[in-house]
Amino acid sequence: MSVRVLNPNAEVLNKTAALHMTINAAKGLQDVLKSNLGPKGTIKMLVGGSGDIKLTKDGNTLLKEMQIQNPTAIMIARTAVAQDDISGDGTTSTVIFIGELMKQSERCIDEGMHPRVLVDGFEIAKRATLQFLDNFKTPVVMGDEPDKEILKMVARTTLRTKLYEGLADQLTDIVVNSVLCIRKPEEGIDLFMVEIMHMRHKFDVDTRLVEGLVLDHGSRHPDMKRRAENCHILTCNVSLEYEKSEINAGFFYSNAEQREAMVTAERKSVDERVQKIIDLKNKVCAGNDNNFVIINQKGIDPPSLDLLAREGIIALRRAKRRNMERLVLACGGEAVNSVDELTPESLGWAGLVYEHVLGEEKYTFVEQVKNPNSCTILIKGPNDHTIAQIKDAVRDGLRSVKNTIEDECVVLGAGAFEVAARQHLLNEVKKTVQGRAQLGVEAFANALLVVPKTLAENAGLDTQDVIISLTSEHDKGNVVGLNIEDGEPIDPQLAGIFDNYSVKRQLINSGPVIASQLLLVDEVIRAGRNMRKPT
Amino acid sequence: MQPYGIQSMLKDGYRHLSGLDEAVIKNIEACKELSTITRTSLGPNGMNKMVINHLDKLFVTNDAGTIVNELEIQHPAAKILVLAAKAQQEEIGDGANLTISFAGELLQNAGALIRAGLHPSDIITGYNKAITKTVEILEQLVESGSETMDVRNKDEVVFRMRAAVASKQFGQEEIICSLVADACIQVCPKNPTNFNVDNVRVAKLLGGGLHNSCIVRGMVLKSDAVGSIKRMEKAKVAVFAGGVDTNATETKGTVLIHSAEQLENYAKTEEAKVEELIKAVAESGAKVIVSGGSVGEMALHFCERYKIMVLKISSKFELRRFCRTAGAVAHLKLSRPSPDDLGYVDSIAVEEIGGVTVTIARNEQGGNSISAVVLRGSTDSILDDLERAVDDGVNTYMAMCRDSRIVPGAAATEIELAQRLKEYANAETGLHSHAILKYAESFQFVPQTLADNAGLDAMEIIASLYTGHGSGNTKLGIDLEEGACKDVSETKVWDLFATKLFALKYASDAACTVLRVDQIIMAKQAGGPRRDLAAAAGAGAEED
Repeated sequence: MSVRVLNPNAEVLNKTAALHMTINAAKGLQDVLKSNLGPKGTIKMLVGGSGDIKLTKDGNTLLKEMQIQNPTAIMIARTAVAQDDISGDGTTSTVIFIGELMKQSERCIDEGMHPRVLVDGFEIAKRATLQFLDNFKTPVVMGDEPDKEILKMVARTTLRTKLYEGLADQLTDIVVNSVLCIRKPEEGIDLFMVEIMHMRHKFDVDTRLVEGLVLDHGSRHPDMKRRAENCHILTCNVSLEYEKSEINAGFFYSNAEQREAMVTAERKSVDERVQKIIDLKNKVCAGNDNNFVIINQKGIDPPSLDLLAREGIIALRRAKRRNMERLVLACGGEAVNSVDELTPESLGWAGLVYEHVLGEEKYTFVEQVKNPNSCTILIKGPNDHTIAQIKDAVRDGLRSVKNTIEDECVVLGAGAFEVAARQHLLNEVKKTVQGRAQLGVEAFANALLVVPKTLAENAGLDTQDVIISLTSEHDKGNVVGLNIEDGEPIDPQLAGIFDNYSVKRQLINSGPVIASQLLLVDEVIRAGRNMRKPT
Repeated sequence: MQPYGIQSMLKDGYRHLSGLDEAVIKNIEACKELSTITRTSLGPNGMNKMVINHLDKLFVTNDAGTIVNELEIQHPAAKILVLAAKAQQEEIGDGANLTISFAGELLQNAGALIRAGLHPSDIITGYNKAITKTVEILEQLVESGSETMDVRNKDEVVFRMRAAVASKQFGQEEIICSLVADACIQVCPKNPTNFNVDNVRVAKLLGGGLHNSCIVRGMVLKSDAVGSIKRMEKAKVAVFAGGVDTNATETKGTVLIHSAEQLENYAKTEEAKVEELIKAVAESGAKVIVSGGSVGEMALHFCERYKIMVLKISSKFELRRFCRTAGAVAHLKLSRPSPDDLGYVDSIAVEEIGGVTVTIARNEQGGNSISAVVLRGSTDSILDDLERAVDDGVNTYMAMCRDSRIVPGAAATEIELAQRLKEYANAETGLHSHAILKYAESFQFVPQTLADNAGLDAMEIIASLYTGHGSGNTKLGIDLEEGACKDVSETKVWDLFATKLFALKYASDAACTVLRVDQIIMAKQAGGPRRDLAAAAGAGAEED
């Protein structure tokens, strides 16, 4: 070469080499995530730098924890993470779909086709598939009373791909009920209003839904009650501790009396605030045996706690901000920022408040609330990795229920949509396309099959047999999915396997886009560093 | 060309294991290794292990919980077992060894099944069915009449506690059990389910022997009194959490003195103030002051003058316990306590036991919410081991307060479970029935290990156990002393139902989790220089 334009250390891959690198990376990533898909997918164990263990089946978690370095793989991983951000599920499908698109393209390219032609075909196929999806979806009416059964089916489909069956079925009810609990007509669903709390205790099947709130701290005074019924709840954000002034202040004194006076004066303003709360307590609790609970976002110092404890008030300090919001939704009342104008109306109500101690950790349960608009999913498990696994699954489950309510429709699952879409592309769309772009459409159509294929593979079934029996059923006009237990076609509607519309939509939207981008790469330049690992 | 596969995509130092051979079998091997370590410690004749942890602290114990804790297991799969054992330890406080050993045995048998060609998912299905069935059978095996018990009856308590303590301190279980039972019964609240393990304290004092151990109704503090008054009988106690000293302000203060006169007067006002406070305390009737913080020189002086004994307890939790013992309410600042807030102790005295100065607060009637077991032993490690046995005993007491049901011990339950599960497996169809069968066989390791550890012929014992159980004697267990099979009602070896249930459930949970994993992605070891390297470097430096 006569003139080098690049830094001599830079590495350049061009034309075919670049294309093969990207294709290989995509296929490699697909191989890693493939075994995750579906209820029969296997678990991956991730071991962190400090030896901590994480077990997961969730593609999103896996991609996050794996710390991928290959540039192509990073691009795909980002798409998958975007998928998760938008729809909360379908990361694994995205990765394997992109991988499969690349694989199909590789075959065509090896036969001498130009990537550009394929990309054109992808674009046509993508639009057609999205159109098909809109016709294919099953509308669900979400009036004031959403159909619980369908929500359960969607949640179950999602959860079963993350956890083993028994636990998934139990979580289904929890997830659906919690979303319905926080749902308000005319407003979007804010999943943050579902608090997810975990306790390292007992077994994973002891996970339950608490209609109310669970806080992960307890009262800090030994004499406060551990359990109280019929409680008025004051949610406040008032500092009940002595705060040093901003300026650097000091004072001079010449005898002990003066100092004593100063000590009392310092406490005075805090004590007054505490006294106001005590007055309110006496007002609402006079003549009955109701209890009074303060949950404060700011601190409460030991002398104030002592005063409150003597009045029989339970006080919790330093509650999390997000819990303050949830607390008001769960118990009613309002969060007060000043104790000056306290009224009984600003108080919330809970039938039962109790403390649960687990070793060093304390938990406070606020239960039996009236008309809760916030609730807590209390995850239990014997060890941290079980809890983390359930937590990820619950999050995905919540998202899927929310998506269904917002989409007002679902898509038949178990690979039924993919097979149907492929038949549609091959039988209808392909004929309308002129020229070589047909091949692109065909590649796209075949790539769709990767979902049922992988499902079958993970269940230990024969891939070819399965695909043939599925496609032949579809040719007869029956919409069927794959029964992973015996490899026979089933009607997903009867089996109750439904996927989210938005998940599928996002998947079909983003997959081809990223695949097209990767296909059109014809040069990879990395400045100054060797792309391969030094071996 | 870019290398193909996942390895190329990960950061340097990452390791990736996948597939049956690389991940599953390797995991099983690792877990097997771990369980072989703990297995020999199972049962009363279990061997002790000597473990030296990374801080060079020596442990001589046969308590599996401690062993695995100090071993610092690195292998991820083995770690799952350790976590299961820890969960068991936290939940029940006993049976950690059973959890690890049983999980190890289950995995070993799963390994055999995998080599025979079974898919892990079939094994998991089988194991899950087996554990459900096991729980069912276990409930049937509960000794009738054991559902209710009087947790204040010492005989009944000892009866249930014996096996648990004996597995830690064989031969000394009678002494320990009676100590623990006494201590527990004493502090047992009105509603036994609220029993708090924390209320039975253990004080370890070097010297003497186990026979010198005793129980104190009250607390044993390993510290001296602050002042010169060392003994007080039938005294009222005032507790101050914030320390006994002059009050300080939050804002920084400076003493402003204009003249020499003022200087003199200042000290006097200071003195007068402290005297006033101490006098107030003394007038309230308190004869003992317990401080949670520092005790000022001047305050101490006045305390001595008013004949008040002063104690310092700096641990917040210890102070709270003291409050419970004496029935006192802690005050934050030094002030006149109201009569209701004062506590009462029968006697509080500084004594010397085995060269250690201890303060013993006794409260024979009233309060009674704390009791202390004073353990004596010749070395630190013996004391530590005794403490673990006592802890196990106390935890067993807590477990029996919640669920007093018992099942036959000495491997009788295990053999019965094995027998009935085998029948169940034979009735099942499908590949997973093999797994259930193996699950049943796994129970055999308990009698086998017990016999092995006692130096008996395991085969013979197991065979005669099976015959006995086959002919309907569900309570036939091993009598380790005679080396023969005997009815457990005679040998009085009973295990708590809850301990067994949780141990078995945690074990099969852990085993299934390990089997479910087919890929492991390991990050590079993080942080600091490795210990062995540093040690090697240190040794090298010495040689130079």
